[in-house]
Amino acid sequence: MTFSDLLALAFGNLLRMKLRTFLTVTGVVIAIAAFVALLSFGAGNQKYVTEQFEELGLFTTTIVYPPDSTSAGAGIDSARVVILDDKAVADLAALPGVDLAYPFDAFDVTAVLGDSQQVTRAQALPAAAAGTKLFAKLRAGTVFSGDSAHEAVVTDQFVRRMGMDTVDSAIGRSIIISTRRSSIDSGLAGVFRDQGGEIRKRLTHIRFDSLAYPAYRRDVVRGELKAAMDRFMNGFMDRQVEIRDTLIIRGVIEGLRGNRIRTESIIIPVATARRFTTGGISANPTELFAAVQRGGLFRDPDSTTREYPQVTLVLDPRAAAKPIGDSIKALGYRTFSFAEEFDQIRKFFLYFDLVLGIIGGIALVTASLGIINTMIMSIVERTREIGVLKALGADDRDIRLLFLVESGVIGAVGSILGILLGWLMTRAASLISQSIMKSTGVDPIEMFDVPFWLIAIAFLFGLSVSIIAGAFPARRASRIDPVVALRNE
Amino acid sequence: MNADNLLQTIDLCRYYRRGAHEIRALDHVDLNLRRGELLAVVGSSGSGKSTLLNLMAGLDTPTSGRVVIGGRALGEMSRRELSAFRAGRIGMMFQSFNLLPHLSALRNVELALYFTSAAKRERRKMAGEMLERLGLGERLHHLPGELSGGEQQRVAMARALIKKPEIVYADEPTGNLDLDNATQLGKLLADLNSQGLTVVIATHDLTLAQQIGHRRIHLRYGSLIDDPSPLPEEPAS
Repeated sequence: MTFSDLLALAFGNLLRMKLRTFLTVTGVVIAIAAFVALLSFGAGNQKYVTEQFEELGLFTTTIVYPPDSTSAGAGIDSARVVILDDKAVADLAALPGVDLAYPFDAFDVTAVLGDSQQVTRAQALPAAAAGTKLFAKLRAGTVFSGDSAHEAVVTDQFVRRMGMDTVDSAIGRSIIISTRRSSIDSGLAGVFRDQGGEIRKRLTHIRFDSLAYPAYRRDVVRGELKAAMDRFMNGFMDRQVEIRDTLIIRGVIEGLRGNRIRTESIIIPVATARRFTTGGISANPTELFAAVQRGGLFRDPDSTTREYPQVTLVLDPRAAAKPIGDSIKALGYRTFSFAEEFDQIRKFFLYFDLVLGIIGGIALVTASLGIINTMIMSIVERTREIGVLKALGADDRDIRLLFLVESGVIGAVGSILGILLGWLMTRAASLISQSIMKSTGVDPIEMFDVPFWLIAIAFLFGLSVSIIAGAFPARRASRIDPVVALRNE
Repeated sequence: MNADNLLQTIDLCRYYRRGAHEIRALDHVDLNLRRGELLAVVGSSGSGKSTLLNLMAGLDTPTSGRVVIGGRALGEMSRRELSAFRAGRIGMMFQSFNLLPHLSALRNVELALYFTSAAKRERRKMAGEMLERLGLGERLHHLPGELSGGEQQRVAMARALIKKPEIVYADEPTGNLDLDNATQLGKLLADLNSQGLTVVIATHDLTLAQQIGHRRIHLRYGSLIDDPSPLPEEPAS
């Protein structure tokens, strides 16, 4: 008996019992639809994350951090201070497999655009980095033309904050960027310039023989020191040098790059930004305290060497991330690899899909009981037919195959319709979820995906479970004694 | 074995156990079926006619004894070989026709060729021709329920004959037919036999057996009580 004969007989037999077949197939349809819908949720989320990673080029991006202060020196020469400065950036860029290395170099600025003014953060970026996926996907305009260009790229959020309706309207506009820098000199100038004439007089008033008395130290010396410190801080904060530049906005990027990458409101070519970051310390107290903490307060104010909180590496897509990460760690730095993070995410999705698959599988196992019931009922009703087929020359295998094909047809038809229903369910769920996201102000994302592998797995799963469910009835049918079967009424 | 001998049963027994009782459906039956003869197995209901036919068709397994065809005992064959034997060398007809009710007359006949190597197109052509030959050319696509008893039995006959079997076993073929249809069917079987087909017909109808049978054997309580044919020879080992 050929497979097409088996199929023709199977379809004929199933169509004879329309209601029973319909109910059994419906069980499979519901189970497969649930299986597809559940796994499509996992697949959709995984696809979204993967697309985000690919869109931002994160698979080839590694972030390098200075060593943790608590573990600094661990495993490396403790005499060597490991910092992320320009030399470190150059060393990292020279590592095999690293295409590009650039620091995260941000500073406070005051931005004036038209009538709007705002204190915000700016970031220096090499033109080469501006061309990477992280920054190159623009909502309007282009990236800046070179490291020394008097141009800027701003975020869409910044454009909104500055009162512009559309991102396109920002392109070509001039933006005035200014920052104030202080130095130890301006602090000292505060100490001496304000009351310089009195310093000597006041010092002469200090009675050194009274220094032995705690009350004297507390009331007089400490008071004098506090007054001097206040004058230093006033000088430091007030006598600042303003650095100002006018830049042309060339492009607008998304401010929230998947919440994964720090992007400041204004991105400035690295050489253009240099004048904002040299010549002293920012008036920002945070930067001041950081400088005091790391001992950089008394550094040459004109020095162009800066220390960065992190360096971004763009790796060669053909290079393996792990050996590169290992060699960076060997230099004493900490690293964060998005590719490694994605591996963890993938593992999570694997378990997530497994749980969803098991839930869908339970539904299918329940449906398979319906198949077993239908097939056993069918055997009881068709015992005489089995006898006739055996009298005509069918062997046990033919009978077994006939019943297996019947259960397989139930599984195949149920799976196809189930996949279709599951897909429709995901479309409906997607429409509902996207409209809820829109109404709550969240950018709508596609949470469901029905890739080909899911269709194939759902079909094969439905088919194989149905055939397995039919195996016991089929074996039972094949063992029916033809003489008994022919005597059956 | 004589060249004319097609099939032999040697000391054939088939016993059933029903609770504490042993039922001797067939008890030490020796029979020699010759090629081209029309053998009528006559007996009342429960005499063992159907059991004998089932054993000779390889559908049933004897308690003891042998059925030998072409020098080979059916009991020595595997289940698959037995199926092939039924598929290729014998045709069967039943009292209740045993047509599959959801298949047309054409497909019921074609079904007998499913277990042979015939191609689908060839099968359908052969089935159509066989039904035409038996006067059912207008009824090819009718379901069994739409046919008369006589027509259904002719469809069953077409199904038995389409494989061009060596032997046709007909178990009470006229049992569900009126006199006209029974007579007509008897003639058809006789015609086929006259064309060289070996036919074994099991019937309680002595008149039919006398009309068409070359030879009659009588069964009573599973035992052969009258067989004018010579005793079978031992098959060559």
